[in-house]
Amino acid sequence: MDDNDYVPQLVRIISIKDEVRGERAIKTFRTQFIEKNGFTHQCGQCAMLSVFGKGESMISISSSPLEKDFLQFSILKTGRVTTALHEMHEGSIIGLRGPYGNNFPIDDWKGKNLIFIGGGIGLAPIWSVLQTALKRKDEFGDLTLFYGARTSNDLVYSQELKDLKKEMTVHLSIDQEEPGWEEFVGFVPANVLEKKPSPQNTIAITCGPPIMIKFTIQNMEQLGFQDDQIFTTVENKMKCGIGKCGRCNIGKHYVCKDGPVYSWAELKTLPQEY
Amino acid sequence: MEKILTKKTFPKWVKKLDTYEIYTPILKDNTWSYELIQDAEALDLDSLNPNTTIVEAPKKIILPQRETLLEFSTAEDGTPKIKASLPEMKPTIILGVRPCDAKAVSLSDKVFGGEYTDSYYFNRRNQTILIGLTCLTPPSPNCFCTSVGGSPHSQEGLDLLLTDMGDKYHINAITKMGEQLLKSAPELFKTPNAEEKSGVKKLLAESEKNLKRNIAQVTKISEKLKDLFDSPLWDEEAMSCLRCGICTYLCPTCHCFDITDEVTSSSPLNGKRVRVWDNCQFPDFTMHSSGHNPRPDKASRLRQRIMHKFRYFVEIHQNYQCTGCGRCTSLCPVGIDIIDVLEKVRDYG
Repeated sequence: MDDNDYVPQLVRIISIKDEVRGERAIKTFRTQFIEKNGFTHQCGQCAMLSVFGKGESMISISSSPLEKDFLQFSILKTGRVTTALHEMHEGSIIGLRGPYGNNFPIDDWKGKNLIFIGGGIGLAPIWSVLQTALKRKDEFGDLTLFYGARTSNDLVYSQELKDLKKEMTVHLSIDQEEPGWEEFVGFVPANVLEKKPSPQNTIAITCGPPIMIKFTIQNMEQLGFQDDQIFTTVENKMKCGIGKCGRCNIGKHYVCKDGPVYSWAELKTLPQEY
Repeated sequence: MEKILTKKTFPKWVKKLDTYEIYTPILKDNTWSYELIQDAEALDLDSLNPNTTIVEAPKKIILPQRETLLEFSTAEDGTPKIKASLPEMKPTIILGVRPCDAKAVSLSDKVFGGEYTDSYYFNRRNQTILIGLTCLTPPSPNCFCTSVGGSPHSQEGLDLLLTDMGDKYHINAITKMGEQLLKSAPELFKTPNAEEKSGVKKLLAESEKNLKRNIAQVTKISEKLKDLFDSPLWDEEAMSCLRCGICTYLCPTCHCFDITDEVTSSSPLNGKRVRVWDNCQFPDFTMHSSGHNPRPDKASRLRQRIMHKFRYFVEIHQNYQCTGCGRCTSLCPVGIDIIDVLEKVRDYG
């Protein structure tokens, strides 16, 4: 159905990992196409996932484009479709269409230091660009990750984070004291401000709850980062993914096709509608 | 190509068009709307009275209020099966379409075309011929097409334009498709003489003078809107809004839609994914599943309607997404008047 953008391809869930349990559960799904096709994506792009009978939901692809064996999605259980996804099993078949949206301009960042700043589920949308930078480590300067969540149990990718510490600087944080927690206690933007990364030849990439993004950007500005050194990825409610259904716009931009990745220089020219 | 067709001969021409599905303005449930006529001979020339106010826009013919995008079910082993249902529309004519409504179709073409082509929309659109009718007098007291780049005899989006000359129609062929329709029955038409040619010119010129409403200096509005995002104007203007959504449902250019799954049986699974008209005036149009809403109140939603039509669409497509048909004003239950709002925007500050 090449000429019909609304028809999903079928993908099989090959693995499901519990990242966070409880009320705000997060699971990571890896999927493979039932029929081989030429699907390729760029860092930061999204896909529209379908649970037939429940509907569709736009989710960031969290695996690197360099990962050819599967597409990965980390999903917070929050609405009708994501709840249905959380009830799926390994081997279950869902729909997928896309990829949608623009991407992080990673090739423009060659030779620069990269700082990734994530909060909660907001690590997932920047995970693909982080993994790609890691796989192409020689092309970049220092790689640093700041990541935090409400509690230590709310941190996603806990095993991967442990492995990551061997390859790059990782600063973790949780919002409140916990017995045995040896890293930063407080909000992510505060952790960044305390560690004072230099803006020299550096790009900052951030995603998290809107309030976290707001304070992160404020703090980066305080540290001397220019507007075009800060990148973020935003989300709005979406139905079509191709700029027709009319709801995800921020001003004249449809986040589904003109976004979701923006530099702060671009985003600050748009109305506050996200 | 210009032709003259007498009203007496008109039914013969319509009969020749019987290979097409024909929609004309029809009074149905006390409301004028564009409806399918079952039999060309049943066409009532009253349907083509240019003074009739047509409440429902023809957008529903090309973008139905509800349509199936695909059907889904599960095979015995539980694997989902999907069947896309692209529409197959018979060649269709919308006869007597108002020039503003035809212009709205050409604006929708911009939305559904572009980088991604919406096959559902264009499978219908590409089968549709638009035969317009000049509005000799404004069909609505709120018509303001001339203020937004239109006119009572605008050709945009049309294949043919009819102008009522009393006992006959002057017909102007605008596209090749329109010309073909005339060539298919050459015996019915005659070439206009000098008197008829000057007569129609006079009628068209006159038609532009009859509008009762107008926005002066409309070009200022898009520019002015850039500074009014955070203005208290929107609160004031939206205060009386009942968020019924009639303004956008009846708007010939509003195209927003929802996609939702409808299940007819859960085990084994059977159902459809449908697209239905949606409405930017409703709170859950933009509400995230977290409960966060980028457009949380009536003011921000009215602002979106005006900004989209008079700023964002202009920035993307170099056109207002408004044809000046006046429906939103005439049918608003609390009298929110788009011309009034636009004038306040223009004069603000």
